[in-house]
Amino acid sequence: MAWRLSWRRRALLWLANLAAIAFLLAPLAPVVLASLQSEKAIQRDVRALLPREITLANFQLILSGGATRGPIFEQVTYLPKSVDRFPAAFANSLIVACAVTLLTLVLGSLSAYTVARLNLRWVKAMLSLSVASRLVPLIVLMVPLYVLFRTYGLLNSLTGVVIAEVGFLVPYAVLILAPYLASLPAELEDAARIDGCTRFGAFRRIVLPLATPGLAACATIMFILSWHELLIPLIVVSRPEAMTVPVVLAGLVSDYFVFFTLMMAICLLGLAPTLLLVVVLQKYVVRGLVSGALKG
Amino acid sequence: MNAPSGLWLALILAWPVLYAGWLSLHEVSIRQLRTGEFPFAGAANYVRLFRDDVFWLALSHTVVFVAISVALEVVIALAIALVINDERVWLSRVTRGLLLVPWGVPPVVNGLLWSVIFNAQYGYLNRALLALGLIAEHVNWLGDSRLAMGAVITAYVWRTTPFNILLYHAGLQGIPRDYYEAAEVDGASGWSRFWRITLPLLRPVIAVSLILRTAFAFMVFDEIFAITQGGPGNATWVAAWYTYRAAFQPPFNVGLGSASAWVMALILAVAGLAYARLVGRRLEP
Repeated sequence: MAWRLSWRRRALLWLANLAAIAFLLAPLAPVVLASLQSEKAIQRDVRALLPREITLANFQLILSGGATRGPIFEQVTYLPKSVDRFPAAFANSLIVACAVTLLTLVLGSLSAYTVARLNLRWVKAMLSLSVASRLVPLIVLMVPLYVLFRTYGLLNSLTGVVIAEVGFLVPYAVLILAPYLASLPAELEDAARIDGCTRFGAFRRIVLPLATPGLAACATIMFILSWHELLIPLIVVSRPEAMTVPVVLAGLVSDYFVFFTLMMAICLLGLAPTLLLVVVLQKYVVRGLVSGALKG
Repeated sequence: MNAPSGLWLALILAWPVLYAGWLSLHEVSIRQLRTGEFPFAGAANYVRLFRDDVFWLALSHTVVFVAISVALEVVIALAIALVINDERVWLSRVTRGLLLVPWGVPPVVNGLLWSVIFNAQYGYLNRALLALGLIAEHVNWLGDSRLAMGAVITAYVWRTTPFNILLYHAGLQGIPRDYYEAAEVDGASGWSRFWRITLPLLRPVIAVSLILRTAFAFMVFDEIFAITQGGPGNATWVAAWYTYRAAFQPPFNVGLGSASAWVMALILAVAGLAYARLVGRRLEP
């Protein structure tokens, strides 16, 4: 578009963009500002916005699981359990998110392929069901799943968390992938089938390689959603060994003795992985979210 | 090829929903969970639920929460989508690159983060307002029932608006430039171009976003959990929080929780059907 902009409109657009950027970023400032201070420093002046002195002691403490105390935490008698648990929870979250991503991709791409290629009534019905099931409140599933998992000994295990999350996310994966697979030309598969490929063979050798960008989009979104999930692990897990990051963070809620600065440092470490993913792989995430909402 | 995910969905989605319905008709509490026997209770759980003032309070809070947060999401997202759609300012590319930042923040972290922003003593909102001279005293944002609801809504809207921006941005990109150029030639003002061209052509996208956002706001849990825990008093009890408290906090009345979960599911089924019809129509070959 080659219209000329008057300088007033240009200035207005600049201001509007700056306001939008402030809206998107400003709420994160407290996390960064508070996590780099000691609790004493933040309490000394309850009106200051910027820290007077900067320290990495909070991060050192958390990353060492409470072992490296340093001068700031030397005399502190109470440390929240979340600090000791954080490193293990981070590993648990990684395991769960990777497993969930892999499983939803496998199940979701198979289903999405049938939705995209087979014009059968029950396949269409299943698609509508996937769409509708996106709106089943998670809490509705968690009550019966809790009773079931209790009966079958899946409570307090990462396996249980993965099973529940996959069940909840597969319909969404289908919604993201189906429009993408439908947009691929069918001629290539037809040619492969004529040359003696089975339908599954054509899917594996031709469709999947062509669909790599769509799969990447779906995988990124699934990883992020799994990393964010609170309610499922909160209800399934009560033992520290199997806690994920959101559950450990939830342990800080209503802890009146916790240091703010320490809490914000844990938060920063907890949000860093998905924030990085979102910024670096933005192109894929955007495409997946849009097609998952509008076309699927 | 549908069998694996079909089976998985049947086990983890379809069956639990039905099983929740079954549980809601039985007496299931901590003692029954130990013995594994759930005596039939008829409609007792539902009777108890509908007689519980807190349940109705939670539902009414949910309606307020949904109405305000969805309205804010739509308006803010539309404004930002229009701003970034103008590519003649290079800064709009920066804005576009940062669009998903709030969406990338885990909901619990979002809750903890805003609880620190709104904290009465050390909170950053008070610090900023004091620095600007807008308030003279520290405000206890989370201690006042009205303000607390506003705080929870603010936190939720911040995290969820980017999703709407994406949808609207995609919708705006689909509107041909010629329409605007023709309107410009005919002398239409910017305002009337927005009302006569942009908004009508965005209507399908807005409809989808309205249904999705309404449904998701109806299920809000994480921010309530992390910021107020339903408080102060029960000023921010919402439907999902009621269900969670009933089923997973002492006295672990899973039967009652299932009943309230089913009521939620029925309310959302209406939204779900509308969404499926709207989106399903588009995918028809």
